[in-house]
Amino acid sequence: MTSSVQTQRVAAEEVALRKVRRPWGGILLFLGPAMIYYLIFTVYPFFASIYYSVTSITPVGGKITTTFVGLQNYIAIFTTDDVFRQAVRNSLLWSVVGPALEMTVATALAVVIYFRVPFHRFYRVAWFTPILMSGVIVGIIFRWVFDYDWGLLDSVLRAVGLDALALNWLGRLDTPIWVVIAVHFWATVGYSFVLLLAGLSAIPVDLMEAAYIDGASRLRAVWHVLLPLLRPTWVTVLILSFMGKMNAFNVVWALTMGGPMHASETVATYIQKRAFGWSTLDLGYPAALSVVWFCAVMIGVFVLRRWLQPKTD
Amino acid sequence: MFSVHISRARVLAGIRSIPITVVLMLFTLIFIIPFAWMISLSLRTSGDILLNPYGLPLNPRWSNYWKLLFDPAIKFYQYFVNSIIVTSLSLLITIVLSTLAGYGFGRPRYEFPWRSALFGLLLFSLMLPHQILYIPQYVMMAQYKLINTRWALILIYGSLGLPVSIYLMSTYFAQLPGELEDAARIDGADDLRTFWHVMLPIARPALATVILINFLSYWNELLLAITMVTKPSLRTLPAAMMNFVGDIGTDYAMVATSLVAAMLPILILYILLSEKFIEGLTAGAIKG
Repeated sequence: MTSSVQTQRVAAEEVALRKVRRPWGGILLFLGPAMIYYLIFTVYPFFASIYYSVTSITPVGGKITTTFVGLQNYIAIFTTDDVFRQAVRNSLLWSVVGPALEMTVATALAVVIYFRVPFHRFYRVAWFTPILMSGVIVGIIFRWVFDYDWGLLDSVLRAVGLDALALNWLGRLDTPIWVVIAVHFWATVGYSFVLLLAGLSAIPVDLMEAAYIDGASRLRAVWHVLLPLLRPTWVTVLILSFMGKMNAFNVVWALTMGGPMHASETVATYIQKRAFGWSTLDLGYPAALSVVWFCAVMIGVFVLRRWLQPKTD
Repeated sequence: MFSVHISRARVLAGIRSIPITVVLMLFTLIFIIPFAWMISLSLRTSGDILLNPYGLPLNPRWSNYWKLLFDPAIKFYQYFVNSIIVTSLSLLITIVLSTLAGYGFGRPRYEFPWRSALFGLLLFSLMLPHQILYIPQYVMMAQYKLINTRWALILIYGSLGLPVSIYLMSTYFAQLPGELEDAARIDGADDLRTFWHVMLPIARPALATVILINFLSYWNELLLAITMVTKPSLRTLPAAMMNFVGDIGTDYAMVATSLVAAMLPILILYILLSEKFIEGLTAGAIKG
């Protein structure tokens, strides 16, 4: 009896001691390496981008020359850069149409699969497959699907007699951005779907059961019980989708490279071209582009959160 | 328990509707046909494809694959090896750093005043797109003469998956009981031994998720791959694929063969472990 009390007291003292004396050695050992790595490769580049954006910076060989130019890059971006304007127009169109399409379809699919339709496992695996593929592979496959002469889409359209609709999808000026939107939808809808399905599965079944007992039909129960409860997950998936479209690079690069004549240029592909494609030998200007775009995405995320987050009353 | 079962069954009683099944099947075809078409093209000759792009490979030409893998003019094996070297070394960096840091962030023993702020800083970078980091990263690599070496990719990739991985590891470590640590300490193990011999082996499921999601993202990465490395012999697969189409663009059969060969390893793993893949990538989507 006494010994147990004693051990308890010792344990309590130990806890108190532990509170005072932190295992700094352990803390440094565990957190130090990752935080140093993170500072060098993520935090520093982030602030360096902001600094570069007010300079003109030229790397030739191993030598870097930096000249301070003030807000000149930003002024040029907003006043004289027509390609940037085109890229923003495309990216904004995509960031509205893309998530709207993706969320509508993914939500419908998630609800249907939630009710265990026949073959639901098969569908889930099939829709998810493109997520695992490199955007390069997806882009090249769909370059062929949308090919004018022998592409899958135009061949099907011609075969059913809709020759007038068989367009040169990737060669015209008005269609390529829509092809990019469609292909990216194909590549990512499975991901949004799986996340929404996980959200649905986390909702307690009793709530649906209660709705049925109250005499609600399945459709009404979905609309009034299931979807409102899914809302927090839904907003998160929407924001992930929005950010994905605003920053997408791989699929566009492999599919159209932003062409023809900037018809499918996005801000991400434009930054790449200004920084490393056009031999402008100036990294300050693309850095300014990336800062502008980062702020635009942040504002978008903030607005979406504010607008869609359930009000706590 | 029994009543829960009944209600679950009643609520989730499957929708059996033929129109819905037809719509879903047609929708699913859109996902299967492009892959099936590529596999079909990869087993035919380019001349044959030009005559009819939609013919079936009645006499499958497996030699396309041998040619792809061993033809010194195509050098597919070289890109494959480059991808393996870059992916595995950068994965190693991410795993070592994120398991250690995940442990430090997850366990109450290592609590200190600024810890959660530091964790928040780490999670903030999930909002950062590549575009705002890669120009300074390029300059950094240029300064240390690492452009056109595999190290440029290995070092930067190592940092890409760090925030997600640390998050996943720390949430897993956080829910393990403290008795395990205490028992190890009573046995005389120090912090590192406790981590390595007791806690890390238990965290294997989280570690598997970390490996899976980072493997996919490093293996498929393109933006840095074409920026940091322009020398053909050092290209990784995605970067090399971009050039394949330019170099052998009219040889449709070989392009299709290379596409299938590049996606086949992942496709096979996915068919074997599809649930693990879907679970892992779901876990990787942190609330933004």
